[in-house]
Amino acid sequence: MARPEEKDADLDQEGGRKKSSSRRRPCKFCTDENLVIDYKNAGLLKYFITDRGKLVPRRLTGNCAKHQRSIARAVSRARMIALMPFAVTGK
Amino acid sequence: MAEKRTGSCRDIPGRTREYETIFILKPDVTNDAIGQANTKIRGVIEAGGGQLLKVENWGRRKLAYEVKKQLKGIYVFFNYLGGAGLVEEVERNLHLTDTVIRYYSIKADENVDAATKTSAVTDEIFANASVPGPDEEAIATGQAGARPFGDEEEDGAFDFEEAVFGKVDEPVRRGS
Repeated sequence: MARPEEKDADLDQEGGRKKSSSRRRPCKFCTDENLVIDYKNAGLLKYFITDRGKLVPRRLTGNCAKHQRSIARAVSRARMIALMPFAVTGK
Repeated sequence: MAEKRTGSCRDIPGRTREYETIFILKPDVTNDAIGQANTKIRGVIEAGGGQLLKVENWGRRKLAYEVKKQLKGIYVFFNYLGGAGLVEEVERNLHLTDTVIRYYSIKADENVDAATKTSAVTDEIFANASVPGPDEEAIATGQAGARPFGDEEEDGAFDFEEAVFGKVDEPVRRGS
């Protein structure tokens, strides 16, 4: 049985939903048609992986779902051809 | 896609597919060896009924991870039209080439009208593809210009770092 404080975890003190602290940014690839997602362009793709080599979630980058999928596909391809790392280890 | 597809594009006369193949050569191979590999792949594409659209040599680049004990490699990029069996044949030939340490093919487009595509590959361009571009060190130290898909962003180009990570409110963190 859920305790009341757990149930209300997402509510603020006045009982309303917590407002997000930032406005959703528009997708960069939707606003700028000149930006093309290409697996060969590792210079662009590196902004969408973390310093450990993992994909940055789109809640942080503001990508739309469609372009996030394209990014994921492009990063996968770039990894296959050794343009991008699968994982960055500390060595 | 504007027009309705009826099964595989192989069934439509005059339609073909566009493929891209990148292969990585060992960093210490001679220009002759690069030329031999390129000529071999070009021969396979043309013998298999394909059309070569673009050949590029990206030069000697640092690999993101070790491949076959190598930390650097010479990247060669092929763009061509052809049928489904052609890629298999190209990859089989790359696999047999000892100087190739890694190859990767993707389908860039399908249902392409071969008549609308023109090949930009002349004999001169093809010969230049056997000469690797400047090393990354030379580019980094300003001794040579950047290559087509270098790591450096062009001046005046869209500043992605700022657009994505700069001037950004603190992202929403759940459960905080």
